[in-house]
Amino acid sequence: MGERGYDRSVRLAGGVLAAIVFLFLIAPLVVLVVSSFNPSGSMAFPPSGVSVRWYAEVLGSPDWQVSFRLSGLLVVLVVPTTVVIGTLAAYGLTQGSFPGRRLLTGLALSPLMVPEIIIALGLLYYFHGVGLINSLPGLWLAHSLVALPFVVRAVMVSAAQLDPVLERAATSLGAGRVRVFFTVTLPLLRPGILAGAILAGVTSLGEVAVTALVAGANTTTVPLRIFSAVQYQLDPSMAAVSTLLMAASVVVMVVADRFARISEAL
Amino acid sequence: MTPGSRGGTVTARAPRAGERRRGWVHVLPLVVFLAALFLVPLAGLLRLSFSPVGAFNAALPGWTLAQYGRVLTEPYFYGSLLQTAATALLVAVLCVLLAYPAAYALARQRPGTLRTLLFVIVISPLLTSVVVRTYGWVVLLSGNGIVNKALVATGLRDQPAQLLTSYPAVVVAVTHVLLPFAIIPLTTALGGMDRNLHRASQTLGAGPVRTFLRVTVPLSLPGVVTGALIVFALAMGIYITPLLVGGVTQPLTGIRVYEQVSTVFDYPVAAALSFALLALTVVSTTLMAGAFRIWERRLHG
Repeated sequence: MGERGYDRSVRLAGGVLAAIVFLFLIAPLVVLVVSSFNPSGSMAFPPSGVSVRWYAEVLGSPDWQVSFRLSGLLVVLVVPTTVVIGTLAAYGLTQGSFPGRRLLTGLALSPLMVPEIIIALGLLYYFHGVGLINSLPGLWLAHSLVALPFVVRAVMVSAAQLDPVLERAATSLGAGRVRVFFTVTLPLLRPGILAGAILAGVTSLGEVAVTALVAGANTTTVPLRIFSAVQYQLDPSMAAVSTLLMAASVVVMVVADRFARISEAL
Repeated sequence: MTPGSRGGTVTARAPRAGERRRGWVHVLPLVVFLAALFLVPLAGLLRLSFSPVGAFNAALPGWTLAQYGRVLTEPYFYGSLLQTAATALLVAVLCVLLAYPAAYALARQRPGTLRTLLFVIVISPLLTSVVVRTYGWVVLLSGNGIVNKALVATGLRDQPAQLLTSYPAVVVAVTHVLLPFAIIPLTTALGGMDRNLHRASQTLGAGPVRTFLRVTVPLSLPGVVTGALIVFALAMGIYITPLLVGGVTQPLTGIRVYEQVSTVFDYPVAAALSFALLALTVVSTTLMAGAFRIWERRLHG
């Protein structure tokens, strides 16, 4: 047992600690996936066999179908909204030169740091006044507000590395402002835009904190339906929905990680 | 987090004459959006928190400090604020402690399949719904869940314990949900460290433990501080996770606000309570950031 043996055991101890933390992170998700295949109605773990009856039950239920459609529709609405607003803003905030830029950057990212219950309550009270409670436009705006800072931050990473010389070169070759933005600037911002779009999509897909207060009986998203169901009953159909929701997010992310480094945006 | 993946182009961003307002038009949609959906609702909520309430807790016109008076004098409210701050502090400490070994392993891992896999594990909680993550804990901690089975099998308990709706379960679940926010900045800080410093320390005769404590930990402090502050701020306002794992009786402010809105329908006091929470969050993160800065300055001479 020389110095090298001591080195190795220290490193091993560090590795074991790290493994425990990774296990802690993944355990609840793994348990959920496994129990979704439970043939019986109990949440006993480990399950007594393998069955897809809960998936069939969920996918065949009209209530869940409505929720799946609503959640999908919201993603389709929220992603373009936040990407357009967020990309323009991130570009202006990093490449622009107007007074108050730092203040506006702080404002753009602040919905991330304000406690979620305050945003939820603020929108609830506000939407009551303008009649947007329990409506699709209300959820669209609420989800866009929650997802927007993620897009701004992701695109800002790409925009900060943008070389203005390229834009100037295009301008001097005769391209107009709009054309430069669409043919030079946007392609250069692509990794950030893609990462932002993914983050916006998964944020909308999983949002509950604000949705729980501004949605209603006609606008129950998938995670909100899980939320209200879990409070009263525990059965594997909820695990099946959760697994489907999780699978959608993970597949999108793994595929997209090949094109964009989401890691840089977080 | 991926060093060397991009060229180090230094952008010349000197404002040219006549372009002092460049970029303003691009930011305009964001300003309009945030003004309409963030600032105006917050201002409305602030106004509401100064409204008196009438019969059936309806908000009345006029101005009063009565709601803040209730928040500061009724233990049901101010007790929850103290409990929330203590919980957020505990969660922040736990997150930093747990994040360290994971971030260290992640930062030292060479790019490849294993690194991608570990990275996916770290951010998977961020990309799955908070209900999904929390529901996993509900399954783990339920009466016939795996944790209880292990407790009974190892003889630590004669019968399954009531783990759900307990305070420790809330701490565990909230720590799990917020852990990625501590791991990510810490991985960035550890990954950007100059490996030559470790080599120098070891050449001079320090063992791995001493090198870790005297070189790695001090250099990673900015990442630790960033992670701890983000986790603390998020833990102050979290309410879905404690509600699902701990139930409505947990004495946390987020849950109390939700209770006031969803069952008592007393909006003004809910507004006052949430602004008290916001003030407490801002004051304590500012104080902590200041304390860390002073400590860091002393550490580096």
